[in-house]
Amino acid sequence: MGEGVFRQRNGMVAVDVVAACGVMTPEQFLALAGKVNELGSFRVKLTTRQTLVVVLEEDKAPALIKALPEMGLVLSPYGDVVRAVKACAGNSALCPRSTGEALDLGIEIQNRYLGKAVPKDFKIAVAGCYRGCVDPHCADFGVVCAGRDFYDVILGGLGGGARPAHGRVVARKATKDSVYAILDFVIENFTRLAEPGEKLCRAMARLGPERFTPPDQLINCKDDAGDNEFKNFLLAD
Amino acid sequence: MTQIRKTDEINLSAPMARLENICKSCDLLNTEDCKESGCLVGFSKKVLRFALQKGVLDIPGASGLIPSSDFKPYYSDTVAPVLAETCRQCKECRDNHSPDCVVALVRSAMELTVLPEAVPYPGSIFMYLAGIKSRDPQLAAKLADELQKGGKQR
Repeated sequence: MGEGVFRQRNGMVAVDVVAACGVMTPEQFLALAGKVNELGSFRVKLTTRQTLVVVLEEDKAPALIKALPEMGLVLSPYGDVVRAVKACAGNSALCPRSTGEALDLGIEIQNRYLGKAVPKDFKIAVAGCYRGCVDPHCADFGVVCAGRDFYDVILGGLGGGARPAHGRVVARKATKDSVYAILDFVIENFTRLAEPGEKLCRAMARLGPERFTPPDQLINCKDDAGDNEFKNFLLAD
Repeated sequence: MTQIRKTDEINLSAPMARLENICKSCDLLNTEDCKESGCLVGFSKKVLRFALQKGVLDIPGASGLIPSSDFKPYYSDTVAPVLAETCRQCKECRDNHSPDCVVALVRSAMELTVLPEAVPYPGSIFMYLAGIKSRDPQLAAKLADELQKGGKQR
């Protein structure tokens, strides 16, 4: 597994810092600001994967990296691994459009899978609704909340590259446990079947999507009877 | 030109006030037969109350719970102001339109009070008005009239 430290054209290095799907507490923000200032960092940039890149002199990078754990932050892994998870600000406290706890699920998935080795980089996006602010159809593994504690799962998207692709929905209204079961199944089969350096969508095209599509018994879906909480509210005349 | 939307935020209290006007003229009001879950107006009020209480703008699956078997008589004079208010509150999401959006839920339920079926929402108010006109020109005229009033209660 590589580490997210990248040489820049100006001779400095960029250190990629992962927070909880881009969410930081004021204390973390202050601590990071203090450290990057103390180290004379050149710039701090927000990335498309909701991480922060600190650009600084190469000899200062180890001090920053060493300070990250005590701030509750992580040096981003790099290469053919599960990357930092993108999640929208959808949960019961934040975005009112969200239909479920997207942010919390995204953070949980990131804590479990970040840095796990795979044949080619594996990107995960968790959205709170079908507006999809984090582009779940463009991720290797996309999740969209479809109600309180149930989710649609999208597989095999690719947002970048010369041949981008949208993923396909493989499960609708899956429970949270089922999302994890599907993710484990996909990563296991991706690791077993894909060639080194082959993106999931290319492996799906080469071998057939069914090789990566979870079996029905793995997908525990809720019925389509509507949101139970609202149903109970409605019927309480 | 009439400004259809008053604010950038969705004001759920505005359609509620207009729904209350329909209830005031209902024979079942304050009787034991007044059941909100089986009434298109009652359903709409429940949607708005739930949304206000929970701070949500989308209720997954709720469109499947609209009481389409409510055949009480409704009149376009009182329904048009509610439909107009849903137009004012609509964010015109276009591609992102959801039938479970609280504004869409109220609009769909209200359509069923005076039309044989709900109108597929195209995601924009202008196209919606055209859709209503093709189904019921009189309702469309009342709706346009209400929109021109700019949200002032009678």
